[in-house]
Amino acid sequence: MYGDLGNKLVQQAKRTQKLEHLPPYSTEIVRAITREVRDLDKDASNILQSFNGSFDPSADPATACTLLVDHLCMRRDKRCLLAYHRTRTDKLEEMVWSGNDISDLAAQQPKNLNGNQEGGSDLVSVDGSSSSLSPEEEEYVRQYSDLLAAYKGQWTDIDLTGSLDPPRDLFIDVRVLKDAGEIQTEYGTINLTKNSQFYVRQGDVERLISQGYLQKLS
Amino acid sequence: MSSSYYDIDAILTDAQKVPTTFELDIPALGYLDNAAGHTLKSGTRLDLPLWLSEMLAVSSTASSTTPSKSLVTLDLPPSLAPRVMNALKADPKSVDLRALAQHFYGLGERILELFEEDEVCNVLMASWRKRAAEISDHASQVGQGGRGGMASGDGVEFLRGLDEWERDLFRRCHDSGKAMRVWMGEVKKN
Repeated sequence: MYGDLGNKLVQQAKRTQKLEHLPPYSTEIVRAITREVRDLDKDASNILQSFNGSFDPSADPATACTLLVDHLCMRRDKRCLLAYHRTRTDKLEEMVWSGNDISDLAAQQPKNLNGNQEGGSDLVSVDGSSSSLSPEEEEYVRQYSDLLAAYKGQWTDIDLTGSLDPPRDLFIDVRVLKDAGEIQTEYGTINLTKNSQFYVRQGDVERLISQGYLQKLS
Repeated sequence: MSSSYYDIDAILTDAQKVPTTFELDIPALGYLDNAAGHTLKSGTRLDLPLWLSEMLAVSSTASSTTPSKSLVTLDLPPSLAPRVMNALKADPKSVDLRALAQHFYGLGERILELFEEDEVCNVLMASWRKRAAEISDHASQVGQGGRGGMASGDGVEFLRGLDEWERDLFRRCHDSGKAMRVWMGEVKKN
């Protein structure tokens, strides 16, 4: 029946809400639902066309009811599609705020966990087939990140996405998990090469820790 | 609980079926009765999702010549039948609401927007109150290392029969209790 596919999609969204990661985008179902809407629209247009634009619902309640059912099914499909995408974008926005970038999203799939991604916020290093995002969602994340960066740029002395826990020590020991290149600190330049260990100011490396380049040693 | 357009649970609530009886012959809607191409006869009774049947029920075949008549009439869904109401009145805690409807209270709320059923309304509210207290008990027991709470078979049975709203309530009870203990613990440390 019409609307069943939409239901399936919303059930996926329901599961997504409880998950830590984002499951792959359901391209197939989304496409099937848009097709369903197009069919329903064609159906409704055909009915209306036979009346030459002078349709009187009270004269023909059966046809009016058919049109109503078509319309309600389309409306339902639309709601399911929008809710599904909204659930996913909510999740993506949350991830952007917590400092994961899009290459981390792909890295959630275990087979993709190789350390050859270059650059801090490199968005293109994900090859399309393994990404759990649709191309539109990747674009959304990119633009949302830009937006957030611009917003954060208004305050230079406070990091809006920083940790809310007060630090116990100003300086911490960190181990480098992935090559991250050179970083500039108040105390000079540090070259972060894999497997090396440093004693650095926590504020300087917080971003790199949350991105998974460095590991904090207690 | 208010529900928004994007609320996943509201959408799933609306997907639950309601017995719907058609009041006129409709040639093109045979597919609703799994008989595409045939006329859907007046008087046919179908289980249709709430999102469809609700709007059909509130629209009417208004015209100047004939008195207006609804396209369909709705009946109370089986999960809100008198039999269930009696069981809830007898012992709210022994009814497996999840088996009746996954969004039992959500469905009840939506249905009561359409039906004037004071009895159902009262029973639902009374049973919610009774069950909420029970849920709160279980949630706090689980938090304290599961002593007693989950061990007794009765509790497991009861918790399995919670509908979506109640599961949410259980989760909130459990999480808030935990957050409270974490906070108290941190206060002690300083």
